[in-house]
Amino acid sequence: MALKGLDIFKLTPKTNCKDCGSPTCMAFAMKVAQGAVPLEKCPHLSDEVKAQLSEATAPPMKTIKVGAGNNEHTLGGETVLFRHEKTLVSKNLYAVKVSSGMDDAANEAVFAAIPGLDYERIGERMYVEFIYVDYAAGSDKGKYLELVKKAASMDRALVLNCADPAVAKEALEIAKEGKPILNGATAANCDEMNALAKEYGVTLGVSGADLNELHDTVAKLEAAGNKNLILDVGTASIKEAFGNAVQIRRASVKDGDRTFGYPSLVNIAELAPGDDTLQAALAAMFTLKYGSILVMSGMSYAQALPLYGLRQNIYTDPQKPMKVEPGIYPVNGADENAICALTVDFALTYFVVSGELERSGVPVNFLITDAGGYSVLTAWAAGKLSASSIAKFFQEKDIEGKIKNRTLLIPGKVAVLKGEIEEKLPGWNIVVAPNEAIQIVKFLKDMNK
Amino acid sequence: MPFKNKPQVFGAAINTVELGSDYKMTLGGENVLPFYTFDGPIANAPKIGVEISDLGTEVEDAFPILKEFYAGASTVVEMAKKACTMPGADFICLKLEGADPNGENKSVEECVQLAKDVCDAIDKPLVIAGCKNVDKDAELFTKIAEALQGKNVLLYSAKEENYKSVGAAAGLAYGQKVGAESAVDINLAKQLNVLLTQLGVNAGAIVMNIGSAAAGYGFEYVASTIDRVKLAALSQNDAQLQMPIMTNIASEAWSVKEAVMPEADAPEWGSQETRGIDMEVVTASACLAAGSDAVILKHPVSVEKISALINALM
Amino acid sequence: MAKFITIGERIHCISPAIREAMNTRNPEPILKRASEQLKAGATYLDVNIGPAEKDGEELMKWAVTLLQENFDNVPLCLDTANRKAIEAGISVYNRSKGKPIVNSADAGDRIENIDLAAANDAICIALCSKSGVPADNDERMAYCQELLERGMSLGMEETDLWFDPLFLVIKGMQDKQMDVLEAIKMFSDMGLNTTGGLSNVSNGMPKYIRPIMDSAMVAMAMQNGLTSAIVNPCDQRLMETIKSCDIIKNNNLYADSYLEI
Repeated sequence: MALKGLDIFKLTPKTNCKDCGSPTCMAFAMKVAQGAVPLEKCPHLSDEVKAQLSEATAPPMKTIKVGAGNNEHTLGGETVLFRHEKTLVSKNLYAVKVSSGMDDAANEAVFAAIPGLDYERIGERMYVEFIYVDYAAGSDKGKYLELVKKAASMDRALVLNCADPAVAKEALEIAKEGKPILNGATAANCDEMNALAKEYGVTLGVSGADLNELHDTVAKLEAAGNKNLILDVGTASIKEAFGNAVQIRRASVKDGDRTFGYPSLVNIAELAPGDDTLQAALAAMFTLKYGSILVMSGMSYAQALPLYGLRQNIYTDPQKPMKVEPGIYPVNGADENAICALTVDFALTYFVVSGELERSGVPVNFLITDAGGYSVLTAWAAGKLSASSIAKFFQEKDIEGKIKNRTLLIPGKVAVLKGEIEEKLPGWNIVVAPNEAIQIVKFLKDMNK
Repeated sequence: MPFKNKPQVFGAAINTVELGSDYKMTLGGENVLPFYTFDGPIANAPKIGVEISDLGTEVEDAFPILKEFYAGASTVVEMAKKACTMPGADFICLKLEGADPNGENKSVEECVQLAKDVCDAIDKPLVIAGCKNVDKDAELFTKIAEALQGKNVLLYSAKEENYKSVGAAAGLAYGQKVGAESAVDINLAKQLNVLLTQLGVNAGAIVMNIGSAAAGYGFEYVASTIDRVKLAALSQNDAQLQMPIMTNIASEAWSVKEAVMPEADAPEWGSQETRGIDMEVVTASACLAAGSDAVILKHPVSVEKISALINALM
Repeated sequence: MAKFITIGERIHCISPAIREAMNTRNPEPILKRASEQLKAGATYLDVNIGPAEKDGEELMKWAVTLLQENFDNVPLCLDTANRKAIEAGISVYNRSKGKPIVNSADAGDRIENIDLAAANDAICIALCSKSGVPADNDERMAYCQELLERGMSLGMEETDLWFDPLFLVIKGMQDKQMDVLEAIKMFSDMGLNTTGGLSNVSNGMPKYIRPIMDSAMVAMAMQNGLTSAIVNPCDQRLMETIKSCDIIKNNNLYADSYLEI
């Protein structure tokens, strides 16, 4: 974060002694802020002030790497509170919970569902990234360690939720290869937990009775040299967990409180036990407002489809439109005899148009051509959607070899291309479709009459 | 070192808009970001509306919970009455889809009569949504505004193409509330508010409809538009963006693939109804997190869960 | 960023009509000028009662009350060399639409106006000069530092000091204009607010030129971070330029009707 001249000026001696070569302390502060002069030019700054200034120029939120190998993930590193200000960088990740406090069948069901939920959406793998292995107070240690062993074999990253350092050590011994997160440091046990996290080189999850206690505990851990942390927003209530998540993120990103500059963990499973729908609603809320790891009781397709779609949207860089892979996308069971409809690879265009095509019930070979991820008119204006680009796409994807039908719908907004496309694609019947996606259903139904 | 929260309390607030006459509710009024109760009190919790279509009472078999809920309701009016009993429902949104000239093309008179009947039958404030055809909506809203004078309903909503007639009738002549609809375009959202106020419509009679999208379907534009509207309204004191926002979730959520695909075609996805509910709930929750002051939903389970979410956060 | 703040300069005792109205306590001419300026988009109104050594306190109270009662507590900039009159004005001032502005302190005789502003939680225009025009920006910044330290030591928020680089007349000091702009940039880089008597730059130019020159200057100054100016809000070209710059700077969200609001 760039420091303003004024912040630096306040720390100067304000004596205008000119020892730094600048006429006034203010001029000096300004030059430092611009990076034109190093701070050290002023011989009168104390070490304390220098440390304060270098701390102030560090990034507001740390980037934390957890897991290992294929299951290594990046959390944090955000520089803004809202995506439109720049972009959000580390998408929230999902964990499902197993616990030594739950019965075996329930744990088994969670484990069993994990491999089945694994699909791709616009080039992104959608799956549950973490297993959250909870050591319930007063439960059987042996059962817990068995769960850890099982979880470690699932090809997912782990969060070991265990506030008992002795048990945690045994669990870490089992799961250490995968660099799990050790969650459970509190004001009471943070020294021992810190020693463990350091010994095994893993990220430590910290919680507190309230934000003050959490702040103190983090400060203490940082003083002990540990800056590899994530912050548990707690489970006292939905209201408090939300308030904590927002205040922690805002304090670091907006107000420069480096002590809270870490990713968060939200135990949604605990906030809405037994209510999958409310858990989905909460996960959506924490996707927008500052959850880093979201722990769920489970993840069904019904929950995953909207939640992963939402996450993909929110974490799109506003400067870089989401793109769909060019190719043939058969809709409504289209085969080689179905008509073709072509549009650009801008993800939003793809979704809106494919939705309308599906609603029409008419089998269509939906063709997505490479247009640099722009919308129809923008791509046309930039020369990325032209008769030659379409002809090239037909050749590269061997459309004529794969599809027998010779009717091609083109977007109404580029009706001007009709003649040129007819020249480049002899034998094809080029039909101009409507301007707006919403008119497609009626258009296709009329066409089929 | 204890934590020092720096509350973001703004010197500006969202307008309050009251809907209904015998049964009232108030939208907006907040001067902090959504659910930031740790920064300052929020007087009016976000509200939940239930969407009822004029296209009949048939519920598809794929939605057994919904079917069961409306069982026995043989008219649209009865459905609306039933909808009022959903725990968590604050208002009813009657959607006059049947008026669409490209669809059933119901007459204006028929629609006005239905709006009156529904309004008389229910014990919640009423929002009237049109058929999306700008000319027909202009006519519909004008006549309904006149017929429901004194009922303080929201005509949802006027667009750039028909704001003059809708604004003049609903906002000026008959003292109703006016929705200002843009399609995820913040400059147009502001411009419509300017145009309506220049027309003479009281800023306190306007509710914004900034457009909507289901989660996964370009929702980032919706979220960023709402974020930016709220930040401009509060931190820049932009009076032309201080109108509360009402977002229709139902229409979007229940028409995307995830909610439309029959279970037989996608067995691994599970129950179609559950998928629709989750799509509706996730989209609604995300809109509320960004700052919608009201959401319109369809399914009783969604209404119950979103209501639980709002109550837990307030 | 916040929108550019315009301070309307047209209630000034240098105008015979206003001077007369102030002497006879005749509200009409003052209200008329206030209304014109507010309609044209002024945020603050400057109230210049002149030296007013005799009845300054009573006159300022009268003017503040008159304007705030008639225009929904419009925020005001109290402009006189009579310190007691400023204090008197603040004593009847309603802050609901914004803090009062003390116009002005400098690094010379008038530095104590900062103390006045600090004691009354007011904004203070801080002129970066001591006597006459500063020779260069090193001198400007030295004054800036002096004024800033004084304000901060009295517990003022640094953003409540609005630094005036001293706009200079082009006809006569053409070669100093880029210095003024650079000074604005330096204040802005420091995170400080700025203001100034903009129309100084076009002093002595033909009437039809002045709006053009003032508009060009405000655009260049806003690019360099100027946050406010004392202007004639009835100059339509100038106000349109300011509104357009606010759009370009993303201080205000664009809508087709942005010039009308």
